[in-house]
Amino acid sequence: MISLSASNSNSQNSIHAEHGLAVSTTNLGLIYKTSISKRPTFKARLKTIGKGKKHTRLVNAISDVNIDVHYGSVLGVIGSNGAGKSSLMRVISGIIPPTQGKVEVHGSVSTLLALGVGFNPSMTGRSNVYLGGLAAGMSRAEIDNRFDAIADFAELGDAIDAPMRTYSSGMFARLAFSVAATVEPDILIIDEALSTGDARFKEKSLNRIKELRSADRALILVSHALATIEEICNEVLWLDKGKIMMRGKPEEVIAAYRDFLNVGKSAASNEDV
Amino acid sequence: MSTQVTIYEPFRAGLPPLRAYFRQLWSRRTFISEFARAELREQNFDSVFGQLWLILNPLLLSGVYFLLIYIIRGSSDSTRYAHLTASLFLFYMIGNSLSGGVKSITSGQRLIMNTAFPRIMLPISATVVALFKFIPTLAVFFILRALVGLPYSWQMFWAIPVFLIALLMSLGMAITISCINVYFRDISNFLPYITRSLLYLSPILFEATTLSPKIRKFETFNPLFSLIDSWSRAVVHASAPDMNSLLQSLLWALGIFLIGTYFFLSRERDFAVRL
Repeated sequence: MISLSASNSNSQNSIHAEHGLAVSTTNLGLIYKTSISKRPTFKARLKTIGKGKKHTRLVNAISDVNIDVHYGSVLGVIGSNGAGKSSLMRVISGIIPPTQGKVEVHGSVSTLLALGVGFNPSMTGRSNVYLGGLAAGMSRAEIDNRFDAIADFAELGDAIDAPMRTYSSGMFARLAFSVAATVEPDILIIDEALSTGDARFKEKSLNRIKELRSADRALILVSHALATIEEICNEVLWLDKGKIMMRGKPEEVIAAYRDFLNVGKSAASNEDV
Repeated sequence: MSTQVTIYEPFRAGLPPLRAYFRQLWSRRTFISEFARAELREQNFDSVFGQLWLILNPLLLSGVYFLLIYIIRGSSDSTRYAHLTASLFLFYMIGNSLSGGVKSITSGQRLIMNTAFPRIMLPISATVVALFKFIPTLAVFFILRALVGLPYSWQMFWAIPVFLIALLMSLGMAITISCINVYFRDISNFLPYITRSLLYLSPILFEATTLSPKIRKFETFNPLFSLIDSWSRAVVHASAPDMNSLLQSLLWALGIFLIGTYFFLSRERDFAVRL
């Protein structure tokens, strides 16, 4: 994996002591260079030689984040758009290496940062269950074992054998969520991936998340749905401009965040996932 | 309590810990094959007509080129046709690997942004796709060879090392170009010119032995020249390739593979923020 120095890798999914450390970050910072143009080209480079035009931009995504997540806990992460929530999740899951500080992850991590990652729309739902599962790091045998559960959960019926491009967006999201929710990692990171399907399926996926809460698992949930965060999490982290604003009991942090946003308990912020 | 502990720290330029990296890569091998199969299916190569097209396309092309040579030179023979077909099929494997590899990282954007995995998997699966497309054409070549009545000999087994070098070359090229494409997206627009030049500069439409010594001085600069020449000698002429040119193609393939892989591995941690 990415800049990792793994040590002492015994079995995955071993039993963790309750309240054992799952994720710990120290002075975590991320400043990255990205290209300004959406599609950097050689031609554009040639045309601007000698003009001193900048092609890259530094983004200060996260600075000085110190958090500890323990097994058995559910951490909610809130913050306005661009607060660095997704960047933090990507750093914790090893997708982007940090530029400062350190992340320690004790156990296997699965990310649910976007739905349908690895899916190929021209393949059938069935093949995509395998593709998505393998992309998420499951083995073929594991997927074989859980296939029926995944198909049942997605409620697709016979459509599972139809190409995915024939699916409605709700069907696509349902299957994607089902695949993602079957991976049973030690640490699960979920980023805004819950708003799938109709009200009934939302309820069902929320219940699935609640089921996943257990003493030997740590969950990190990123969401703008404050009501859900308050309901599920036992600790909330509020990020703004890459820095920790507050951390603590869900009610308190959410109240402070609402004050900060000055929106009060409006219908929009309260809306479920 | 013993769990697997992973530490992510700022990286200095250079390679990631290679052993851990390749262990990761190996554990993901089923994903590579499944990913390549999905790609093939997307291009319809799982159907009868798709497979047929796979064979028909290079066969028709070799027919057209054969016609071209015949018109320009005024004469030709069946050995020449076999040479053209064999070299063109091998060239197509390398070309397909390049054209599949060039976009492998940029089109794998969603995967890269959302999952941690060895990124080199993506160009590798592009080469696997190219390999799967090559296999049926090889069968066609051997049928054609039998029809034309070319001789057989034990020397033909030289085709195996030559093929392995070609595979390494394909892989190296796919890895290199996929990485370049992250930084310069218009490399994919240049690619047809690159492959076209390689096609005409390699001994495909002509045989290496027919070139004048003056021109042959430059053959070293074409990474595919000795490789395709050795391939043709082994599978068409059933003779051993020149050891010098075999060594030369091995060095080219190793060079491209090692430099490309180094470049890729030291850059890949940057891909997620560059896409």
